[in-house]
Amino acid sequence: MIAEFFRPDGRHLSKAGITLLMLPFFALIFFAFLYPLVSLLSISVLEPQPTLENYRKVVDNPIYLTVLLRTLWIALLVSLLSLALAFPVAWLMARSKGPKVAFITACILLPFWSSVLVRTAAWAVLLQRHGLINEGLQLIGITSEPVRLLYTQGAVVVAMTHVLMPFMVLPIYGALRNIPADYARAAAICGANPLRTFREVYLPLTMPGIIGGFILVFLTSLGYFITPALLGSPQEMMIATLISQQIREYLDWPFAAALVGVLTLFVTVITLAFSKVFRFDRMMGGAA
Amino acid sequence: MLDGRTADGAAISLRGLEKRFGSLAAVDDVSIDIESGEFLALLGPSGSGKSTILMSLAGFERPTKGQILIDGVDCTPLPPHKRNIGMVFQHYTLFPHLSVVENVAFPLKMRKVAKSERIRRAEAALKTVRLEGYGQRAPKQLSGGQQQRVALARAIVYNPRVLLMDEPLSALDKNLREEMQLEIKRLHSELGITVVFVTHDQGEALTMADRVAILKEGRLQQISPARELYERPANLFAASFIGEMNQIPVDYDGGVVRLGGGQAIALPQEALVQPVPPGKAVLAVRPERVRLVDATSADALPVRLRDVVYAGAGTLVIGDLADGTEIRARIPSADSADLRAGTTLHMGFPPGAMLLYGGGAA
Amino acid sequence: MNSRSLLLNAYVYAVLAFVLVPIIIILPMAFSDTNYLTFPPEGFTLHWFGDFFGNSRWMKALRFSAEIAALTALVTTVVGTMACYALVRGAGRIGALFQGLLIGPIVVPHIALAVALYLFFQKTGLSGTVAGYVFAHSVIAMPFVVFTVAAALTSVDPALEDAAMSCGATRFTAFRLVTLPLILPNVLSGGLFAFIISFDEPVIAFFLAGIRDKTLPRMMFDNIEQNLTPVIPAIAVLLTCLSILVLVGAALLRRASVRTTAAPAQD
Repeated sequence: MIAEFFRPDGRHLSKAGITLLMLPFFALIFFAFLYPLVSLLSISVLEPQPTLENYRKVVDNPIYLTVLLRTLWIALLVSLLSLALAFPVAWLMARSKGPKVAFITACILLPFWSSVLVRTAAWAVLLQRHGLINEGLQLIGITSEPVRLLYTQGAVVVAMTHVLMPFMVLPIYGALRNIPADYARAAAICGANPLRTFREVYLPLTMPGIIGGFILVFLTSLGYFITPALLGSPQEMMIATLISQQIREYLDWPFAAALVGVLTLFVTVITLAFSKVFRFDRMMGGAA
Repeated sequence: MLDGRTADGAAISLRGLEKRFGSLAAVDDVSIDIESGEFLALLGPSGSGKSTILMSLAGFERPTKGQILIDGVDCTPLPPHKRNIGMVFQHYTLFPHLSVVENVAFPLKMRKVAKSERIRRAEAALKTVRLEGYGQRAPKQLSGGQQQRVALARAIVYNPRVLLMDEPLSALDKNLREEMQLEIKRLHSELGITVVFVTHDQGEALTMADRVAILKEGRLQQISPARELYERPANLFAASFIGEMNQIPVDYDGGVVRLGGGQAIALPQEALVQPVPPGKAVLAVRPERVRLVDATSADALPVRLRDVVYAGAGTLVIGDLADGTEIRARIPSADSADLRAGTTLHMGFPPGAMLLYGGGAA
Repeated sequence: MNSRSLLLNAYVYAVLAFVLVPIIIILPMAFSDTNYLTFPPEGFTLHWFGDFFGNSRWMKALRFSAEIAALTALVTTVVGTMACYALVRGAGRIGALFQGLLIGPIVVPHIALAVALYLFFQKTGLSGTVAGYVFAHSVIAMPFVVFTVAAALTSVDPALEDAAMSCGATRFTAFRLVTLPLILPNVLSGGLFAFIISFDEPVIAFFLAGIRDKTLPRMMFDNIEQNLTPVIPAIAVLLTCLSILVLVGAALLRRASVRTTAAPAQD
């Protein structure tokens, strides 16, 4: 009987009750996350025999090293672009009231309600040879004939920014919203001009939100698969596409596992390094 | 107990109750016998253990040691829902998703009373707390005082024999608080229920309770009726916690006390609540018992006035004795018109107003 | 409005246009009378909707995805709410471990999880099964459900459960009759989150799918990769209609629940 485990020992749950309630969660995370991940990673160092060869291959082979560096570069670019787009949006949201905030929030949250694949398809259409963007470029005379936009690194960066930018808005907005308007007034009375007020007051107080959003977008970009696979060039792979290729075309599990290991190492180190500011519950901002 | 008839209050006995959180004893060897139908107030500063005692009674805390007997039955291991105790919490704690009548009927629903009977008895309980006709409202639509009445109705609807109240009036403003104090007193005498009431408000405790238990750092300091508590506090903590008390360091030789300024005062035997060994002691006098006397009077102590604080009916006079000990007197304002700070006057303590405690000042 | 704030507004609306245009522009292409995607669409036809509903492979994928998403929502809300409750009602030291494990599926890329599960499921025979997908999707949806439910649970005064127990309710009854109704809106929106995440999950689907058992996102991926026909915009139109229905439904539900708590209600 479940009720037996809820036997109240005071207002707190008994140890048995807590254990029972937590058990399904821990079981799920263990069997569908931790165990599979660890056994995959173990392949990277144990097969064909105990070795670090698979990892050496990642760094030694210029092709693979290029993929790794390109992935970091694209992730950084997407994060910077997202920040440049997101900060003014968050700023205006924090400065506005009522319906305007609701409208901007709705626009920012709308992508969460639409399929990633549909959005990717939309970019494929926009960027295709006779797509809207190519025609627009010709119309205003920047180009005289259709240029290749699709299956380029630029297409990947633009489409990834489109998908990930909203994740940057929420934490920054959350941080900005918590800054009382009196701070700006106090800074002004102290003699700070608007620019200084921004730099000395707003920026430091918003930093946790900025860093949190930046890390979230950066980490997500590192492992991005769908957009590069559909919009990117096969000659300019990112690490996720490389992993997929190693498994599906070459069946090289140990090497693919090493690539997953590198990727996991990156995200783990970054997460731990920024664990003070990278708090997911705060990342959700006003989303929930 | 569920027959709708008013039940008699249960007798409660706490025996050697102890509750430790790690190395900290929140309640330390507390034994109290509460009579059937008694109204007992647990009074103390925050951290005194009064709430922990109440929560142990309710079953939300399990004592580390000791026993809780209700009508002679050991309830210590029983979970809250098996204790048949009514309880009113600090912040109303009405279920926000249920209507007022559903809130009041909740304990009956737990006891599997038929629905029509539930509603009938909940309406009756609402009538008892003078909230007839409010049953269909949502708790949020009521004022704070009304919400606390609903909580009261919910606590008494199934005729429990014990009613626990955890600072139930602290969230209300002053006027409502006084009104609710009377309401609770009325209910107590109507229902004959045993009430244990936690408060940090000494006025509330003195007004409402048959007996008041004073706690400090988990230990019981005194348990007495209000008058005795105020007039003959068992120790300096109780003396200073309830009301104001002048504390004058003295030397006691077994019959006479000598003040720092050299004056000697002969003490009547009743000034000793408990035996006091000769040596350092503290003479305690309530400010309102201090009298202004002529310089020629036998017990006259010269006092240099520091402040005269006019407060309507009464005036607070603050001054220093010859050795610098601060002394306060509350006198009728009619007698205070001529008093000026900086002047010297004389004060005296009537024999019945003096109490002597051993040791240093609290 | 001064020039600086005019500039800010212009910039922000340009960003919003960047966000919205691709999402909106694809919708009318669903009615295009061509078998490739182009804007503005040419002609008008409902052919592509027929192509979607008339094709047994699309229909099978739709049912498969809906089943997985519904089960994912169920599993995550039940398991997540249980864990949240234990956490909020005093799990102490387990709390840090819990949060660490929760953040794992968010920061570890889906590709890593997908590959790991691909290997694991091949060994255990869960590949391509409903159960396999539900496990995988539950892991990635769990954090969203937990944070949504925890937000509601922490705002429920624990004294309410004490009050219920002092009224004679067991801990379980107190949870069922008092706490659960109060957190239900968040539990439901957490479940909705989980449903959407599962229904729209392309990466794990890419690796776990067998030849026959493809989820809707996997079918869409194949279509976009191979020939990109207007069936994709047609699906986008259908998903948009579904989203609007869900949002309107949620709004109505919220209004209804506000009414029952604010106005007379008989037991």
